Amino acid sequence: MDGIASLLHGFGVALTAYHVMLMVIGVMLGLLVGVLPGLGAPNGVSLLLPLTFTMDPVAAIILLTSTYWGALFGGSTTSILFNIPGEPSSVATTFDGYPMAKQGRATEALSYAFLSAGFGALLGVVLITLLSGWVARFALKFSSPEYFAVYFLAFASFIGLGGASPLKTIVSIGLGFSLAAVGMDSISGSLRLSYGFDSLVPGISFLVAVIGLFGLGELVVTIEEGLKIDGIRARLSLRDVLRTAADMPRHWLALLRSGAIGCWMGITPGGPTAASFMSYGLAKRFSRKGARFGQGEPEGVISPETADHAAGTSAMLPMLALGVPGSATSAVMLGGLMIWGLNPGPMLFIERPDFVWGLIASMYLANVVAVVLVLTTVPMFAAILRTPFAVIGPIIVVVCFVGAYTVASREFDLWLALAFGVVGYIFKKLDYPIAPMVLAMVIGDKAEDAFRQSLIMSKGSPAIFWANPLVTTLMSLGLLLLLWPLIARLVAVARRPIP
Amino acid sequence: MITRYAAELATAGTTAALGIVTMIGATEYGIGWGKSGPEPGTFPFYTGLIVALASAGIVAQTVVARGKFTTPFLTAAQLRPVLAFSLPIVAFVIASLVLGLYVATALYLLATMVFQAKYRLRVALPIAVAVPIGLYLLLEKAFQVSLLKGPLEGMLGL
Repeated sequence: MDGIASLLHGFGVALTAYHVMLMVIGVMLGLLVGVLPGLGAPNGVSLLLPLTFTMDPVAAIILLTSTYWGALFGGSTTSILFNIPGEPSSVATTFDGYPMAKQGRATEALSYAFLSAGFGALLGVVLITLLSGWVARFALKFSSPEYFAVYFLAFASFIGLGGASPLKTIVSIGLGFSLAAVGMDSISGSLRLSYGFDSLVPGISFLVAVIGLFGLGELVVTIEEGLKIDGIRARLSLRDVLRTAADMPRHWLALLRSGAIGCWMGITPGGPTAASFMSYGLAKRFSRKGARFGQGEPEGVISPETADHAAGTSAMLPMLALGVPGSATSAVMLGGLMIWGLNPGPMLFIERPDFVWGLIASMYLANVVAVVLVLTTVPMFAAILRTPFAVIGPIIVVVCFVGAYTVASREFDLWLALAFGVVGYIFKKLDYPIAPMVLAMVIGDKAEDAFRQSLIMSKGSPAIFWANPLVTTLMSLGLLLLLWPLIARLVAVARRPIP
Repeated sequence: MITRYAAELATAGTTAALGIVTMIGATEYGIGWGKSGPEPGTFPFYTGLIVALASAGIVAQTVVARGKFTTPFLTAAQLRPVLAFSLPIVAFVIASLVLGLYVATALYLLATMVFQAKYRLRVALPIAVAVPIGLYLLLEKAFQVSLLKGPLEGMLGL
């Protein structure tokens, strides 16, 4: 098992005082971001990224991933105590978490949430440890057509399995690709789609887009829905936590099922949000206690939380091994890797094993740090939400614009963030999915390069995408997923009894 | 009141227009086969085409199922808080470009807290001043990241 040896080496890299300090800072910032409405994991990571440009990549990725874990935990806290999901992926946690808290079982609900989240994350990291080396070795055989096929598969699965309207998903992806094309063309060097505006020549940063789409857009939606904060006070005592922990093994079936759903949804780009809903839905259907779901059933907290974190963690696997992110947040991190001068994908495992395995080891450590921190700081973060939104809201706005400016120190980016805020608001209200757009913006250039290089290899013949069994399988799977909404509809029509 | 129907059509119309603009912009760089493979405009041309076609599809879907989209997109009652929140943001961006981000931050926080949330000046002022100072220490001192500055910072020699 060279995976274990590499992992031990990774622990050697990750386990320094400096890195552990970064984990603590990252988790705390993540908790803050997860608790505050309007700021989420993709946003928090985007805001921090410009500050890491000068850091060592290993330290930088540890900071960013720790923020991600923190944000995932923070989102669950507000779901349970305030019935406000801090993250879209913790919406399902409100269904049973908030009723539990209202019955005076807030401590129990929080402990269940954090412990099952920790378990889910652990499953995800174990999966990464076991599979990433293998996937990367496999992916070393890939050349441009296979890469294009993998990207195609990733986007097709958004369309086929994402749950949103397929046409709206296509619009979102297409816009992302078009935005990625603005500015310098990485193959010919020509400046594209600037329409004579100097401001468009350097391109449109995906970071500014994320800040506007996820941050500002979400804030306006929050305002419109009228934020009613009706929080339940909670203080966690060690005894309660231990008692819940002792009770956890009884829920082994829910834990394993939800973990499996989460890992699957994280690796295929379904993302944590879809994973948590799916897990909750399946648990409700198959659990013996299914009928009591929605009235404060622990399994209704355990199922979405485990899946959410398993998906969040395992989304790092395709990002590291293939260079294809499985969620919006990992897309932002992938962009970060490229900015730090790393080349995500299988070559990273050969060129920078210290980075890859340091990161994987840090995921074990940071999740332990996160569980401990979140259990000890819940009352503090809950207090933050009690500060009136009239103060917190404008401060979040300021942080978003400051973040947008720090990306490239360009005044134009302030306008861009504002414009993306409007887009984010409208898209959210009309159910256009935003994550695929961010993914397309981040890997747009890579997908285009793969496409063009493939065609150069074949002298213009698209048959290269069906040239060998591997690429044929990938493309066919992609096509199947792409056409899945249509197929499902045809099947439904065919099954309908003829009157 | 804006209905969901109108909002769906307006949004799909806008994305369709963006798709077409992308296609037109792409033709400038050639969308055929050049000396070194596909010309630079090819890929954006087709992504623009995909956006335009999918948007047209959304318009068609919306018109066909018109009855399903009668719910409000934005009611008059919702419009007020939305504007009250977003218009100051626009003012904040303009102020940032003129006065720099630090001064604009202080003014924006002060204005929203005093005029909208009806805080007393002695509560609002310290917060409005503390936030930009905190940002300054964090960004410029701890991370050596420079933020957009205006005339005031110039006078203070920062």
